[in-house]
Amino acid sequence: MQTAESGAGRPPLLEARGLSKRYGATQALDALDLAIEPGEVYCLLGPNGAGKTTTINLFLGFVPPSAGQALVSGMDVSTHDRETKHRLAYIPEQVMLYRNLSGLENLEYFAALGGKGSLGRERLADILVEAGLERDAVDRRVSEYSKGMRQKVGIAIAMAKEADALLLDEPTSGLDPKASNEFSALIERLRHGGVAVLMATHDLFRAKETGTRVGIMRYGSLVTELGTDEIGHADLERVYLEHMHD
Amino acid sequence: MIRHSIRHIIRKEFTDVLRDGRFRWCAILVGALLLVSLGHGWVQAREAQREHAAAQATARDHWESQGEKNPHSAAHYGIYAFKPRLALSFVDEGVDPYTGTSVWLEAHRQNDFLLRPAQDATAAQRIGALTAAQVLQHLVPLLIILLTFGALAGERERGTLRQLLATGVGRRDLALGKTLGIAGALALLLVPAAAVGAAALVVGSPGPAASPVARAAVLAVVYLIYFAAFVALSLAVSAWARSTRTALVILLGVWVVNGLVAPRVAVDLSKWMHPTPSALEFARTVEREMASGTEDIARPDNEALTEGLLTEYGVERVEDLPINQSGVLLQASEEFGNRIFDRNYGALWDTFERQGAVHEMMAVAAPLLAVRALSMGLAGTDVEQHRHFAGAAETYRRDLMRRMNGDLTENSVSGDFSYQAGAELWESTPPLRYDAPTLAWVLGNRILSLVVLGGWLAGTILMAAARVRRAEVT
Repeated sequence: MQTAESGAGRPPLLEARGLSKRYGATQALDALDLAIEPGEVYCLLGPNGAGKTTTINLFLGFVPPSAGQALVSGMDVSTHDRETKHRLAYIPEQVMLYRNLSGLENLEYFAALGGKGSLGRERLADILVEAGLERDAVDRRVSEYSKGMRQKVGIAIAMAKEADALLLDEPTSGLDPKASNEFSALIERLRHGGVAVLMATHDLFRAKETGTRVGIMRYGSLVTELGTDEIGHADLERVYLEHMHD
Repeated sequence: MIRHSIRHIIRKEFTDVLRDGRFRWCAILVGALLLVSLGHGWVQAREAQREHAAAQATARDHWESQGEKNPHSAAHYGIYAFKPRLALSFVDEGVDPYTGTSVWLEAHRQNDFLLRPAQDATAAQRIGALTAAQVLQHLVPLLIILLTFGALAGERERGTLRQLLATGVGRRDLALGKTLGIAGALALLLVPAAAVGAAALVVGSPGPAASPVARAAVLAVVYLIYFAAFVALSLAVSAWARSTRTALVILLGVWVVNGLVAPRVAVDLSKWMHPTPSALEFARTVEREMASGTEDIARPDNEALTEGLLTEYGVERVEDLPINQSGVLLQASEEFGNRIFDRNYGALWDTFERQGAVHEMMAVAAPLLAVRALSMGLAGTDVEQHRHFAGAAETYRRDLMRRMNGDLTENSVSGDFSYQAGAELWESTPPLRYDAPTLAWVLGNRILSLVVLGGWLAGTILMAAARVRRAEVT
């Protein structure tokens, strides 16, 4: 097991060391160095093709790195696939579920596969409600759900897993403002619970509201990193646009 | 932990499949066709067996009550023999509709089989005659394809594969769970059909068979291997294909090649490699050789035979022989004919078997050919078991002719055309007793098909394992 010690003596929950990914002639990610500690929400900002989703795919072990390492609690994802995934929860841009199953049945299934099969139906139904789903919707088939409702089931899946780290890929894309705010509040709760969050997003406002740190990516490289306490919304937008127009 | 997650995947797949209206309708359709074809086959086999038994009894009655006549006239009068329908023939009627099930046994001739339903069937009947074997060989694999083509390609296309694998579940566990879940849904269709088939076998076996239960058990295993190979193949394609559409098109292509193209190619290729004469050519060849003999089979020399008899009995004139010279000459003619028949029919049967071997070898490209050969073999309706019965019937015919000619020889004298035998002789001739081949004999004939089918299962499982391991997530 490969480990990396952080300042507190424990490795960061999420760490990228010289992480690179090349697809043929395209350098999708170039020597990314990143460390996210418990209680941190790190937002990756950047246009399409900047390398945000590739970073998440590398942390999930869906693609092998061309160079470098993606580490979860000090364990290399490439060599500890199962152990690292059990410490991670993932919410994609569009949570996709099984149409023939209810929201609760979907949650039961994903929770069981994530090692939380012992959670009873009542507890899982409560988690769905905590994630923002109406109580009377939990037993309805997902084929009747809106995108926002599916996204809430995705959040519930992540909550039920009680993972140490959360990977979010454009999680608020397509959500209405109310649902987006509820989502931000939920991330805030998880952060206070010591969860490390890596969120890829286009949404500058949400990144400023939710994140503790923001990294701006372009052409596969992390071009700058900012603490959200250091700047306001307007500053973030200005810095972002400066980097996009270089 | 692994077993726990597999159990959840199985349950989810099973539930998902059962709630899918497309599966419900397909399963109802295939299940109904399977049950109807089983029932229809059983009724038909039972009816045929009853008719055969009645016809056999009538033929025997006619033989015994033919009155007083010359034994050689009785030999020409002849008797019918009926191939018994074995217990599992209601599942797979095999080549019976084409080869016929009864044969007229008479002097000087080895006749072709009669009662060929395919000969009398209308075009519509040929298309509409769906047997349980056809449903199992063609429609169940189609249902398996429809259930499995989206197993991994669909998860990938919908985006659920990312979420599933992000939970930490292994790809092998996911594939195994999906396979078992789909198998469970298929079992809902196949178990009742198997129960109906077993009940039909036990409650009212339509015919005799060497170890029918063992044959049925092996038949069930053969079909399970076939279905398992299709599930594994579909899973492999689903793991490899970039989209569900690609997976479906590839698998439907495999289904068409397996079920429609390969059998046709096998027939044409086997006939090209091992040509058989037309029925007319064959009959003419036998007729010509019977008339003039061949290089190595000469017609009996009646003068030499007569001289031999005179020498053997120490007399100078045929009239002084204590036996009927005609009986000896007729038997010599029979034995000459037998050698001609053995030469021609033997070569024909050998050619059929070589053609069958080509079919079995082509099963490397299409598992249906292996399953079909095994299914017909276990149901007792393949060419080899037809030959087995034809051989038994011919042996019986030759014994019957020997008895008639022997009686004529022993109980009359040369030139006495008034001799007549009676019921005592007819009744002393035992009826044809036919023992169907054993299961070991059948499997011994089908060893190539067994090996090829086993190879298909092993190959498709290895392919599925490799493809699932390398399946792309996005």
